[in-house]
Amino acid sequence: MPINYGLANLSHYAFVATVVAYALAVLAFAGDFAFGREVLGQLRPAREPAADLVTVGALAGPAAPRAVPADAGPSEPGGPGAGPGAPDAARGAEVTAPGAGTGAPGGRDTRAMGRWVQVAIALTALGLAAHIVGVVSRGLAVHRVPWGDMYEFVTTVTCVAVAFFFTLMLRYRAYRLGLFVLGPVVILLGLAETVIYTPAGQLPPALQSYWLAIHVTSITLATGAFVVAALFAVVYLLADRHAARVAAGLPTRAGAIFRFLPAPKMIDQLAYRMVVFGFPLWTFGIIAGAIWADEAWGRYWGWDPTETWAFITWVVYAGFLHARATAGWRGRRSAYIQLIGFGCLLFNTIVISLLIKGLHSYAGLS
Amino acid sequence: MTGVRIGGGNRVPGESAARTEDSQAEDSQIADTRSEDSRAEDARSEGPGQADGIAQHPFGGWAWLRWAWRHLTSMRTALVLLFLLALASVPGSMIPQQGIDPQAVQQYYTAHPALAPWVARLGLFNVFAAPWFAAVYLLLFLSLAGCVIPRTFRLAGSARQQPPRAPRNLSRLPLAARYQTALAPDEALAAAGELLAGKRFRLRTGDGWVAAEKGYLREAGNLLFHLALLALLAAICLGGMFGYKANKLLVVGDSFANTGTDLDAFHPGRLVSAADLQPFTIALSRFDASYLTSGSLRGQPSRFDAFIHYSPQPGAPMRPYSLRVNHPLSVDGVRVFLIGHGYAPVFRVTDGTGHVVFDGPVPFIAVEQAGLTSEGVVKVPDARPRQLGFAGVFLPTAVDVGGRLGSAFPAPLRPAVSLVSYAGNLGMNSGPPQSVYRLDTAGLRRLPVAPRPLALGQSIKLPGGNGSLTFTGYRQWISLAITYDPGTLPALIAGMTALAGLLLSFFIRRRRVFVRATAGQGGRTVVEVGGLARSDASGGFEAEFVTLTGELATAQQGGEPAGSARSPQPGPGSGDGPPALDQTTEEE
Ligand code: HEM
Repeated sequence: MPINYGLANLSHYAFVATVVAYALAVLAFAGDFAFGREVLGQLRPAREPAADLVTVGALAGPAAPRAVPADAGPSEPGGPGAGPGAPDAARGAEVTAPGAGTGAPGGRDTRAMGRWVQVAIALTALGLAAHIVGVVSRGLAVHRVPWGDMYEFVTTVTCVAVAFFFTLMLRYRAYRLGLFVLGPVVILLGLAETVIYTPAGQLPPALQSYWLAIHVTSITLATGAFVVAALFAVVYLLADRHAARVAAGLPTRAGAIFRFLPAPKMIDQLAYRMVVFGFPLWTFGIIAGAIWADEAWGRYWGWDPTETWAFITWVVYAGFLHARATAGWRGRRSAYIQLIGFGCLLFNTIVISLLIKGLHSYAGLS
Repeated sequence: MTGVRIGGGNRVPGESAARTEDSQAEDSQIADTRSEDSRAEDARSEGPGQADGIAQHPFGGWAWLRWAWRHLTSMRTALVLLFLLALASVPGSMIPQQGIDPQAVQQYYTAHPALAPWVARLGLFNVFAAPWFAAVYLLLFLSLAGCVIPRTFRLAGSARQQPPRAPRNLSRLPLAARYQTALAPDEALAAAGELLAGKRFRLRTGDGWVAAEKGYLREAGNLLFHLALLALLAAICLGGMFGYKANKLLVVGDSFANTGTDLDAFHPGRLVSAADLQPFTIALSRFDASYLTSGSLRGQPSRFDAFIHYSPQPGAPMRPYSLRVNHPLSVDGVRVFLIGHGYAPVFRVTDGTGHVVFDGPVPFIAVEQAGLTSEGVVKVPDARPRQLGFAGVFLPTAVDVGGRLGSAFPAPLRPAVSLVSYAGNLGMNSGPPQSVYRLDTAGLRRLPVAPRPLALGQSIKLPGGNGSLTFTGYRQWISLAITYDPGTLPALIAGMTALAGLLLSFFIRRRRVFVRATAGQGGRTVVEVGGLARSDASGGFEAEFVTLTGELATAQQGGEPAGSARSPQPGPGSGDGPPALDQTTEEE
């Protein structure tokens, strides 16, 4: 079937709109750090222990720690009232969770949704909508799943990453991580549109297979989750170092930023949740790839370079999951392992698929 | 202030494994939520002999063995071995591998003549079959078995186990709530027990408390995952023992039998001999390839069809089959795949004595895909007075681009060959076996023939009374991969089981809920609820706990529907009144 160039153009413009919306969202997230209104901790019960507890409350689902008058700062539009999951009996009751909405030592509510955050979220949602339009119209233009070359892969993976992050952000009210996810996404998408832009094209027949589509789809979804997890790991490592320095009474930089972030432990936990989401998808992706290889070449595993690196990536992420259950390996060390895993993933998608010719070379860049 | 208070401990649910030191005696039994293994491991990190009752014989062989086994099966060793496995795989993607690209290995020998033998000695040309690679994964799987199998028995043993007793102070648990009810304590507890049992919690009751636990499948999922990995390894071994792989290049019009001698490359499994091959025969009657004729991918193949006839047994009738990419032929569990194709120009060679000493197709191998320019050699050992050899290219659609010959399209629109001719000694009777795709020119002399491409039917007259060669036509060939792997289906099942185990392990949370009810002031009963997730990988226990607490509170209103609850004041922000949760005097 011929390529629909009208749709291909629409896709391109949608991506441009996406970049603009995300860039504005990044500005708004940054503006929140700079100008966001303080939500004072004075409303907090005085004896509530501070920082550590934020972790628990901050992680709580939407239903949990919502309905505290004390908590219901003026800037919390969700307002008090039980979350959707809470049954009638609990509704309206006073529900406090430790640290719900409070303050890190500075007294600032890390989870409140100030004006700037509201604007940033609206812009992110707008950008995500345009992003989805872009991916879908590209797919419709070329009559296949739109992740057949490097350009399509990047635009789709960033879309998945933002979608995952958006869900997570709303679920755990981790708004202030938005800057650290959308910032890199803007840069990646900008690069995709300028440097590696590839016009819509057809796929070689060897790449037209049912299992291949399933394989690449789950690998793409997993990659999106791993991208978010890796960004969280970086923020965690920085925030944790900052917290350690504060605890040790050492001078710190960028305290104005870290003060507003969720506690390091919570960021770490969110990173773990993303890996927990991505790992089964990656596992399934590898299985689907093996099924495809078996149907195409009569062997389900052949250790070609891409397969080898998919395996290495899988093993390293399995190591990460282990590390989190191994004494002495939790926290920073496991975050480093996760980043190594992500490094393997990047190495596979960038270096191996571009430079090493194998059955999997389909980057479309030459 | 009103209500349910959720809070208490300072742990992140799901991160519960991190919690260690601060558990007090009273709740340590339930709150020490580290996995059994990491707890066991702490005991293991001691030297031999100290770990348990064998301290009296610190250096006995048995003690050492036990010590080694404990270390091997510890989480830390598993972590290290996982890393080693990842690291050991890296060279397999960096250094050419014999099993994947033997030609690249040859090139490596030429490029690094000093280094290559060492690389070979270390097994780096065949990493995934190297003994050191096997050592890493065998150790890992030994550790896996040693770790998982005892855990499986333990889990089976605990199938009827009761939840632990409720800790005294529920507010110290990661999640806690507190409210009052008009029901008497034991009625409140009975209502709680009923509700929790209805939610399929495992229950245990005591004086003034109910303990409930759920999510045992999470541990089962984790074990299933690890056991499935063992099964996967077994399936791979099965293939390595009893499977085989072979290749065959087949020219249109030819046929072959699946026997050791007829196959081009035969890689049998460890326990396979040539006699075990399924004795089918395949004949290729036609091959069609279509290519895209327009667009940016012009020249890309869009379809291959190989029309074959096969018979499963010698003497059985031949049946027709259409072999395509992704559409293999299955005979007796063996699958035959179409994995490549090319051209075999047909030559007739007449020697200096006037005899036709060669007449047939010669497979040429494509060196580029856009136009399928193919290279090959013709060897004529029977030619007299001198043996003849030819090396050159076949061009499906020959074009002249600025004096250089090339092929513009992969279909044979304007086929031509261009050959260099040699006469002399082909060297086929001495030395190592030769490749049919390469000419050993050591004993040959290049004949002075004007370089001119031959169109169909054209000939070269060889000078010096050496005869002539005619390009009489071309045929196509296909290459077939013949594979037999009895481990494929078991491997698929093992892989899917591992995935299912993983999902169970990640998305089922093992959690405990405790309810205590005590008589409070004014005839009211104070109900405390505490919650603890032993594992909550994907999150969500907090939300579940809040929901559950609400349901418990409702269930404990003594039959009054929550809607009719009287409330002193409307809850902030929510339109409807709060339920009949009583005021607590707890002031924050
Ligand atoms: C082939 C090697 C192995 C792989 C690929 C692997 C992979 C994994 C993965 C992906 C998880 C997280 C999923 C889950 O929690 O169920 C996990 C957890 C676990 N593995 Fe392994 N594993 C391997 C070997 C081992 C070995 C040798 C041991 C014992 C020493 C072990 C013990 C555990 C334990 C106890 C957990 C649960 C951790 C927790 O409580 O979160 N594994 N493994």
